[in-house]
Amino acid sequence: MRVLIALSGGVDSSVAAALLAEQGHDLVGVTFHLWDAQGDNKVGRCCAPEDRDDARRSADHVGFPHYVIDERQAFRDAVVEPFLDTYLAGSTPAPCVACNQHVKVTRLVELADRFGCERIATGHYARIERDDDGTVRLLRGVDRGKDQSYFLYGVAPEVLARMMFPLGDMTKQETRVHGERLNVPNANKPDSQELCFVPDGDIGGFVERERKLSQSGAIRDSDGSVLGEHKGIYRYTVGQRRGLKLGGGPARYVLRVVQEDKSVVVGDETALFADKLEAHSAAWCSALPSEPFDAQVRVRYRATPAAARVFPARDGFRVEFTAPQRAITPGQAAVVYRGEEVVGGGIIA
Amino acid sequence: MIYLDHHAATPLSAPVLEAMAHAHVHAWANPESVHGQGRLARSARENARGQVARAIGAKPVDVVLAGTGTEALNLAILGLGRARGKPAGYLLTTRIEHPAVTASVAQLAREGLPTRWLEVHEGVAFSPEQLREALTAETALVAIQWVNHETGTILPVAAYAEVCRELAVPLVVDASQAFGKLPLDVVALGASAVVVASAKVGGPSGVSALWHERCTELAPVMHGGAQERGFRPGTPDVPTLAGFGAAAARLGDRLADMPRLSELRDRIEQAACALGARVNGGAGERVATVSNLSFPGWRGDVLVAALDVEGLCVSAGAACSSGLGAPSPVLLAMHPAEPWRAESAIRVSLGPETSQDEVATAIQLLRKVVGRVART
Repeated sequence: MRVLIALSGGVDSSVAAALLAEQGHDLVGVTFHLWDAQGDNKVGRCCAPEDRDDARRSADHVGFPHYVIDERQAFRDAVVEPFLDTYLAGSTPAPCVACNQHVKVTRLVELADRFGCERIATGHYARIERDDDGTVRLLRGVDRGKDQSYFLYGVAPEVLARMMFPLGDMTKQETRVHGERLNVPNANKPDSQELCFVPDGDIGGFVERERKLSQSGAIRDSDGSVLGEHKGIYRYTVGQRRGLKLGGGPARYVLRVVQEDKSVVVGDETALFADKLEAHSAAWCSALPSEPFDAQVRVRYRATPAAARVFPARDGFRVEFTAPQRAITPGQAAVVYRGEEVVGGGIIA
Repeated sequence: MIYLDHHAATPLSAPVLEAMAHAHVHAWANPESVHGQGRLARSARENARGQVARAIGAKPVDVVLAGTGTEALNLAILGLGRARGKPAGYLLTTRIEHPAVTASVAQLAREGLPTRWLEVHEGVAFSPEQLREALTAETALVAIQWVNHETGTILPVAAYAEVCRELAVPLVVDASQAFGKLPLDVVALGASAVVVASAKVGGPSGVSALWHERCTELAPVMHGGAQERGFRPGTPDVPTLAGFGAAAARLGDRLADMPRLSELRDRIEQAACALGARVNGGAGERVATVSNLSFPGWRGDVLVAALDVEGLCVSAGAACSSGLGAPSPVLLAMHPAEPWRAESAIRVSLGPETSQDEVATAIQLLRKVVGRVART
């Protein structure tokens, strides 16, 4: 079967490709050029030129054609501009969700059709389960520390039906072992940590450069008293403690970022906990649920799915958690699970 | 694999490979060395120069052997542009030149010689009269290609040269894509400088020749020893030049093959048009070897990749700029009202090795791939 494999230049996708080749599939490899890393070209961002070379090298090593496809405009439009808009609106965006769903998967499907590939494979740590009746389910990756099902909640069932995740049943450790067994070049390359388009991690600087602005405003407590000054609401996210520069005193955490008066509201850690949320722009992996149901909801990539009751609504859903959750953050994705299975998700309001 | 990208590079024939192998064994020394070993290398280099000179109707003494075609074009344009002393006036060129010309022209603009442009809409060349109108007392230099690298458009450079000569304005002709497709006699042509390259005529890549009128002043672009009368210092790659010479000696066969290639190209074009493609530069005169096609609903780089998966080698725009993802400036200039063409273009180019069977298979593959997406 002809399979389109998305290669980032990282170990995961390279090992996924080598495994598929070992299984006898005909591969066509593609790497998206999404962004131009400025200045210090740190390796490990999925868009540094070295990463594209690593992708090509892993394709050459296995022996299948590899193409670099320029999607910089699509990435700018679907990921970067919304990222900037969301931060300036006082929320914390989840760009990897937007990228995976609106750029990578969308383009991979289109390319698969044009290249005559039945299936699309990636190195995501996630699993697909296919029932006899043709129902397809998206499941968590077995490696809980790497499980990337969070980013794929919005992928339509008919697209999921074409996808393959060779690493879903493995741990990261097992991936590296396969990498060495199959002599995958760069099997020991470190994983990327920062956002691929903000490699130095300085989001505040990025927002200011891209939108040519600067900002300052008040840091307040919940009563409204001004405690200090900040240099841009886009430098803060709910639950953050660093960077407040409020001097000594009790530890304070960002509770809310308020776009209307450009203020950052801080408070005690206990005030960070809440037991409900509302989500909009929902996507469901199967039929739109109509009745409330019990599930586990993950409020950020690094959170564990927590027991909750989900109330579907028009365009979105409400969630009531069994136990309060820390730092529920507007702009992040709330992903709904039933056990291993991803049911759907939405953006926290 | 079916190779239909001859405008990018051409396979080497057996005589060319033999000439190179022989030179690798016997002519590897430095041609400037006085001793016996050096003389063998010098002989081989001068033999190659002679072969190239004969192929273009030139005297060997007026032929500078250089590296890539890009290097020779840099030397011609920057060399003539800078040699005119304090830059005054402007440089006249077209919107459809090769990046080596466009970038050299841009460099001269940064050095104080601004650019004025001539349009080539739809691939129809401007007339010699239109060129005459664009020339003024301030025109310092004119740079025009003979055959366009992307669409094969032919510009009547001999007629342009006559106009430039009358008005005493130097003309540089980029003949990289004309060499081996159209008969070339530099003396009859009447330009001030002409560039030809090895890679487009069955020779090895990396070497080219710049012919210039006797006593033309060229400011050197590279600095070093006295090779090539100081115009192109550096120890030459003699075996590769030997390959160039051997290819140049066989140009007659390539020229004689043009009618056959024209017919094969037309078959591809007809099949492509039946699939909804538009021919770029189709309204003007073109060489026989190339078809530049835009398929609605397909990005050029994606179509090239999809065809490559099936074993058909073509390119999107010029090889030197594919992979950049930018739409072809040549096609944007030729079809300004239809910018989609520049993003969707693929270039199919044929050579002496192209067989009827290959063309038939290429057409089948084109139908198969293009057929995967509903016509828009």
